[in-house]
Amino acid sequence: MSENTFPDRARVDARDKVRGATRYAADTPLPRLAHAMTVPSPIVRGRLTAIETGAARDMPGVLAVLTWRDFAGVASAGYLLGGGRAFQSHQPMLSDRLVHRGEPVALVVAETLETATAAAALVRATCEAEPFAAALGETGEEVTPPQQSYNVGDAEAAWTAAATRVDAAYSHPAQFQNPMELIATVAEWRDGVLSIHEGSQNAGAVKFGLAAALGLDPAQVRVDSAHLGGAFGQKNSMQLQTVLVARAAMLLGRPVKLVMPRAQLFHTASFRPASRHRVRLGADAQGRMVAAVYEADMQNSRADTLRPTFSEITSRLYDIPNYRSAERLVRTDVQSPGYMRAPFEHPAAFAFESAVDELAHATGQDPLAFRLAHEATRDPVTGRPFSSRLLADCLRQGADRFGWARRTPQPGSMRDENGMLVGWGVASGAYKAAMSPAIARLRVRANGTTRLSVSGHEMGQGMRNAILATLMAHLSIDPARVDIRVGDTEAVPQHLTAGSWGTASAIPVVRQAALEVRQRLAELRGSRQMRGDLHQMLARLRRPHIEVEVRGHAPGQPDAVFGRLQNGLPAAGGPEYPDFVSFSFAAHFVEVRVEPTTRRIRVPRVVSTIDCGRVVSPRTADSQVRGAVVWGIGAALREAAEIDPRFGGVLNNDLAEYVVPVNADIGSIDVGFIDRPDLLLNQAGVKGLGEVAMVGVAAAIGNAIFHATGRRLRELPMRMEHMV
Amino acid sequence: MDDDPAGVPPAISPCLTRREAGLGAALVAGLAPAAAQAAQATPGATLRLVLRVNGKAVDTMVDPRTSLLDLLREQLHLTGAKKGCDHGQCGACTVHLDGRRVASCLTLAAKAQDRRVLTIEGLAPPGGALHPMQQAFIDHDALQCGYCTPGQVMAAVSCVREGHVTDAAQIREYMSGNICRCGAYTGIVAAIQDAATRMREG
Amino acid sequence: MQRFTYTQARSAEAVPGTGARIIAGGTTLYDLMKLDIETPAALLDVTTIPGLDGIAFAGDELVFGALARMSDAAEHPEVLRRCPVLAESLAKAASQQLRNMATLGGNLLQRTRCPYFRNGAHYPCNKRAPGSGCAALEGLDRGHALLGGSEACIAVYPGDWAVALVAMDATLDLLGPRGARSLKVAALHRLPGDAPQQETVLEPGEMILRIRVPVGPIGRASTYHKIRDRESYAFALVSAAVALDMEQGVVREARIALGGVATRPWRVPEAEAVLAGRRLDRALALEAGRAAFAAARPGRHNGFKVVLGTEAVADAVMIAAERSQRP
Ligand SMILES: Cc1cc2nc3c(=O)[nH]c(=O)nc-3n(C[C@H](O)[C@H](O)[C@H](O)COP(=O)(O)OP(=O)(O)OC[C@H]3O[C@@H](n4cnc5c(N)ncnc54)[C@H](O)[C@@H]3O)c2cc1C
Ligand code: SF4
Ligand code: FES
Ligand code: FES
Repeated sequence: MSENTFPDRARVDARDKVRGATRYAADTPLPRLAHAMTVPSPIVRGRLTAIETGAARDMPGVLAVLTWRDFAGVASAGYLLGGGRAFQSHQPMLSDRLVHRGEPVALVVAETLETATAAAALVRATCEAEPFAAALGETGEEVTPPQQSYNVGDAEAAWTAAATRVDAAYSHPAQFQNPMELIATVAEWRDGVLSIHEGSQNAGAVKFGLAAALGLDPAQVRVDSAHLGGAFGQKNSMQLQTVLVARAAMLLGRPVKLVMPRAQLFHTASFRPASRHRVRLGADAQGRMVAAVYEADMQNSRADTLRPTFSEITSRLYDIPNYRSAERLVRTDVQSPGYMRAPFEHPAAFAFESAVDELAHATGQDPLAFRLAHEATRDPVTGRPFSSRLLADCLRQGADRFGWARRTPQPGSMRDENGMLVGWGVASGAYKAAMSPAIARLRVRANGTTRLSVSGHEMGQGMRNAILATLMAHLSIDPARVDIRVGDTEAVPQHLTAGSWGTASAIPVVRQAALEVRQRLAELRGSRQMRGDLHQMLARLRRPHIEVEVRGHAPGQPDAVFGRLQNGLPAAGGPEYPDFVSFSFAAHFVEVRVEPTTRRIRVPRVVSTIDCGRVVSPRTADSQVRGAVVWGIGAALREAAEIDPRFGGVLNNDLAEYVVPVNADIGSIDVGFIDRPDLLLNQAGVKGLGEVAMVGVAAAIGNAIFHATGRRLRELPMRMEHMV
Repeated sequence: MDDDPAGVPPAISPCLTRREAGLGAALVAGLAPAAAQAAQATPGATLRLVLRVNGKAVDTMVDPRTSLLDLLREQLHLTGAKKGCDHGQCGACTVHLDGRRVASCLTLAAKAQDRRVLTIEGLAPPGGALHPMQQAFIDHDALQCGYCTPGQVMAAVSCVREGHVTDAAQIREYMSGNICRCGAYTGIVAAIQDAATRMREG
Repeated sequence: MQRFTYTQARSAEAVPGTGARIIAGGTTLYDLMKLDIETPAALLDVTTIPGLDGIAFAGDELVFGALARMSDAAEHPEVLRRCPVLAESLAKAASQQLRNMATLGGNLLQRTRCPYFRNGAHYPCNKRAPGSGCAALEGLDRGHALLGGSEACIAVYPGDWAVALVAMDATLDLLGPRGARSLKVAALHRLPGDAPQQETVLEPGEMILRIRVPVGPIGRASTYHKIRDRESYAFALVSAAVALDMEQGVVREARIALGGVATRPWRVPEAEAVLAGRRLDRALALEAGRAAFAAARPGRHNGFKVVLGTEAVADAVMIAAERSQRP
């Protein structure tokens, strides 16, 4: 039992997962389950003038065809970032108003999925269409005035006076999370209790959102989100289908299941909005970076405001004396965009870390040495210390593992044995180390079992593993009989698990709970010597169990945040804390090979080194980084929503056309951790991991392509057409 | 263990039942009048289907439109195979049909007549030891959320049996029909290399 | 998906008269039924017909039963040895799961992946709804044809196998309501013209029984080169089927066909002529590549395929040539 090194431990839920025994929402077995299917809106924006449901209703086996008229009295749960709990403020089917392509206009419920699907296809909506702007850069988009986000020194003047200057524009398309699990809701209304099974990163928001929307007492709503088949930000609040399915279950008096088809999910859930970035960097005659001006535009929906925080990390990556940034929102007619793994940090790092590479090249410096030369020791924005910052270690260790010293600087100067152009690129990444309020309840029983309930959700990141590792580091309990309850609103209040704060929030309270159990046992035991594990000691002490409850929140937060936690509202803190700022850091080294004839790009090798504080669960942490690198490769080289401005919506709305990486796209990924605890941030020493590991990968790939070919690509994804 | 059952009718006889008109005619506020009364036979299940699933004989009625995936999940409650796309584009629904891996979402259930289906639930005996591939997936942490995993494991077992494991590149190619959005690909390749050896020994 | 009847066929002779729609692997048909693009009232499953799934050599022909699975043909040792372009075109298509389901006959009749076509009634599409217009013409045409398009439709024929077959001068044996006939694969697919909904010259109910590929001196030195948006499990951005007959570094005969860039499998005699009788080097291969795309008419977003395709053809020619040196 030690906190200094956590042993390699197999993923706790892996046995169930490899047997197909893990139950995701759509797997919930319920008697008399009815199946629902949505009818998507045929237009982008306008009004539903008529909806013809007769043919659908007449189909044998159809139980109900619900339209907006069936939802009288239902309210929107409100926008998550505007005091509400849903991914957007617009809840479809509450009126005849249509604001984005593909929103449901009817819900068909039938005895079987086949019938529901067939009947849904017979519903005819007649609409009055209004003009719209479907994407960034289209006429009709509405650009808000710039909002300055960071301002240190006099960046404009310093840039104008700089000896070497870079002025480059980068663009990022809209991208879609596409977790493999389709968003699914199973709703059951029985004895005045509404039970919802839905894979959500935010069971609390679903609970309170539904209660608000349906006018129920929150105590009547129970949400179970024990296992998610991936989320990546897509499932971070109440989905637009949840209330529709819940209402159908209440009206029918039968449990109802809706599995949203993949094609519809491109229009009915959030996404990473498109963005454009202009970065100006200046260096003095000695080649020191003296100025940075970073301006960005990001797509939003008409109604809701997602604030881009691109500069939160780029303002801190380097010691640059003059830094200014500003962002503008661009309003278009889409469902509300939201969070997708490293939502702002990944596009920001692509733009900024590409520009840094351009400046290093322009000043004739090695891109690694250039980065190391500009390491920041204090937060350039607030002047406060970093709670921990081991970026330089990441860069140095990564460079060693990668063999960076063998790189020849000239673009196009390296070739492999098959004549492929070889390029080596590096980029750094950072991501806020945030924390949310969390509650842990731990009960260790004499009968050999343990139950730990905590605020948090398991999306595949390995939270259950980190929890078990923490318990085992402090308690001699039977690891095979620990029941870890996450994502269950009936166990403890549930907060949004996102922003890489899940582990950093849950682990400190779990750790504290374990310590308190030990303390309680010590009190019970007094001076008696006892052998055996905790369960056996309890038995000998004739105590059926010990139970403790622990609450925690981010440094400096008032206790009032627990009120938000208990009401399903977001309450995370960071990265700026009263006495310090906290970030996780990453360094990525990428090798690309470019076929000289067709210019096909391959990524055979990536080395990523991460400073995420203490690594509590080595095996799942390693997997997190590998997955994030795969995401970086996908974002850099593959993924883009294709939007025809005449029609709106996403044209490539399936997994054949929205191209995510497959196994053959991925070569070797070598992962390193600095693994030093950040004890300022929390007692467990844990910072976030899942997102920082993606930040900078795309830039490192672009920088490697530049090194291979001399061609600088500033638009994602970097595809064949940009190379020829 | 999952041999073809004997004595199965040779062909499926097509029949189209026209259900009485008017059953769903009168609707109030979107609701069919007696929603609860339809609890008897599943409407639209007009095809008799006899097959073996995980070694057990199954004799059931299906809607001709039903996919093998929906038959397994919704009717037989074998929810191991997952729906990730419903269009053959992801591999989450991979099962073995007569010993070969297929996408069950693009396989008409009716096509399984007289055939053998093996799903993740039948790969290893219940309660007993795991299949070497399952164990290797655990050992190499070849999964995160686990949603694609049943499909990956079924595909991986086939990949070994087909002999497509000569090197990592070949494994990657032959496992590319299974998308893992969590990005567990390197672990999956390592697991298959490991299990291939153990499967040969076993 | 609307209701239909399902029957299993026991003999090929019974197929043409039924009026039902043939379903083989179903990976195209069932997929499009789920999208409500295909709406057959009756399905006749032909995979239960015995004796049509073989792959064999007969004389100097490779004969493929129409019901053979893609995966079987892709790995057939004789096919790999005598005519790798055929095996590779199959191995680089779809995924192993789909190749285990899909048949060689059904593969030829797969339909376009044009997203406007697949995405439903919101989009004008002459192929899905004749007379409604073509959304792709003024739209996102990165995946659309540079060759063979019309004012009515520029949808790409997405398959790989047919491209290889066209390069190899393959022939189909058909059985239809009016009896048996043979047809060159090259004559199977129509140009879209003003009726893009009519994709082939097959008659309703006409069944493909066999695919015959002559294999003589040309075949061994062949390859199917496929460039995609990812390394696997994707349709072609551009592909080239190339087969060469070479003697001492000089090309006696060349066969070149293009995929991913044309409205049907696209043989390019202009490019073949560039190579014939000449000593091969990469410069000549590139010249053939240029000739292959000389008639290309790029749209708004697919112009890069002229350069990409030219290079891909040249690379394919060089790979095929290398194979001619093998014993
Ligand atoms: C995700 C995905 C990826 C794919 N990627 C590729 C790819 O990269 N390259 C590629 O080439 N293909 C690809 N395909 C297409 C796939 O290869 C075809 O769907 C398949 O080959 C069709 O064969 P099938 O037996 O399933 O045909 P079916 O779907 O059963 O039938 C297709 C059509 O042919 C008719 N038909 C079938 N057999 C006969 C016959 N013997 N005589 C007359 N008519 C017949 C049917 O009536 C129907 O109209 C992909 C498909 C999917 C779903
Ligand atoms: S290209 Fe052809 S298939 Fe595509 S939209 Fe135009 S008509 Fe339809
Ligand atoms: S669900 Fe069958 S391949 Fe995706
Ligand atoms: S483990 Fe999550 S999709 Fe593969």
